[in-house]
Amino acid sequence: MICDQCGERSASVIVKQQQQGQIVEVNLCHICAAENHSINIAFEQDPLAIHQLLSNWFPNSQASINPVRKEVATCPSCGFTFSKFLRIGKFGCSSCYDAFSPQLNEIFKRFHNGNTEHNGKIPASYGTTLKIKKEIEELRKQMQISIQGENFEEAARLRDEVKVLSAKLEGGIQDGS
Amino acid sequence: MAVERFFQPHASSWMTNDGKNVDIAMSTRIRLARNLNNFKFPYAFTEDEALKVDKEISSVLLDKGNELDYTFSHISIEELAELQKEILVEKHLISPYLINSHHSGSVLLSDNEELSIMVNEEDHLRIQSLQSGFQLQQAYKIANELDSLLEKNLSYAFHEKHGYLTSCPTNVGTGMRASVMLHLPALTMSHQIQRIIPAISRLGMVVRGIYGEGSEALGNVYQISNQLTLGKSEYEILQDLENMTEQIIQQERRAREAIALNSPVVIEDRIYRSLGVLTHSRLLTTEEAATCLSDVRLGIDLKMIQDVDMSILNELMIFMQPAFLQQYADKPLQPKERDFARAKLFRERLNRNGINSEGEDLA
Repeated sequence: MICDQCGERSASVIVKQQQQGQIVEVNLCHICAAENHSINIAFEQDPLAIHQLLSNWFPNSQASINPVRKEVATCPSCGFTFSKFLRIGKFGCSSCYDAFSPQLNEIFKRFHNGNTEHNGKIPASYGTTLKIKKEIEELRKQMQISIQGENFEEAARLRDEVKVLSAKLEGGIQDGS
Repeated sequence: MAVERFFQPHASSWMTNDGKNVDIAMSTRIRLARNLNNFKFPYAFTEDEALKVDKEISSVLLDKGNELDYTFSHISIEELAELQKEILVEKHLISPYLINSHHSGSVLLSDNEELSIMVNEEDHLRIQSLQSGFQLQQAYKIANELDSLLEKNLSYAFHEKHGYLTSCPTNVGTGMRASVMLHLPALTMSHQIQRIIPAISRLGMVVRGIYGEGSEALGNVYQISNQLTLGKSEYEILQDLENMTEQIIQQERRAREAIALNSPVVIEDRIYRSLGVLTHSRLLTTEEAATCLSDVRLGIDLKMIQDVDMSILNELMIFMQPAFLQQYADKPLQPKERDFARAKLFRERLNRNGINSEGEDLA
């Protein structure tokens, strides 16, 4: 295909524009596209269309009009169905995560190199309990490393820290310290 | 009006050319995606909810922003003129997605333009922290402090297993996208970049030119960012990205040395020709301007060019874009007219120091 603008080079970019309510498609070469869009280094570009990936991974769910398999999950809060989620590649609300939960591990694994569980920041307002649980988990990991490295003094120190935190968990964190 | 300042062609603090490794790493950005717990996400909510979300978030920031020594201006996207919206996009303060949204959205900007918080983009909240140079930790610290402040006053959508809940499954977990903008002319010239890009993607990170994955980068500027947001902590993600970026920077330095050593005259000729184009042209396309800017930037880094201020080049990268040019010319411009205005802008900005307006050396 030849570039619509210069008519010289071959087109490599399709630009869709909305003009007076109508979608107009223009085929441009990389040079004319650069001119059109300037150096707008959009930080947010998705290199892959998420919904396309999702539909490819779950071809059966897409064709879930099949009345025999009436297990199409629907989010009770926003009304998104699992097939709608696959079609647009986005969740409608936080309850979708519970409603579509059986399939999500598989999806997250593929997007996040096999990972399925959050391991980062936790909002303070979400409750100290979870924070302490995670801290203990982390300390235990470090303890294992210390033991493997025959660093027993450090391991003992970490064990004591775990004890203090565990007591805090059981005691319902009263002193707030 | 106070918000007018954001549309003026003055440099944001992240364009100032300060910071570590700024000769190669031009700027750093951290973005945190967050949603409020008791509202549907932007793909499902009503206009009424959109307005409530905007009100809730902006009232917290306008009230409490000063706890972090920031003053925020609230700008409702609907109230902006088309050109003003585009200017904010060109300055990287908002995303194109936000201006095309079907719902009410807004942006809260800190006075120094380091922090911009988009409301009702793909998520209720997109906290964005920008820094000049290679400053991942600093950019994260600022974003994280603001996030903690917001979280004290708002109820976030958070899940014990999945972390911060986002509209898109690619952002769930930390909701964090960290990116560094890199100027890699020598790796591009020597075609090494083609080998580096696929290697990086195997490690949960991605390098992009301006059109997306694998494409040639305009002006040899690439963006490297994390793809993974789930399973690793923010600290680990930043650490991985930092290590990778440092390696790329070293590779670029080595490639520059090799080029300067092997073909000094060829490279010098190219750099000075580009300087000539930028200071003397009467018509300048975006592509030519970007290529020449890259060469001149390299010339400054290699100490071949001494009398051009790097921060002016950073500004020109932003101000050479269509919306800024039209503001500069004070009228709508057709693409060909933009080339003329762009050439004029470059002559005016670059000829101030050392060279007169006709592009001749001052005696």
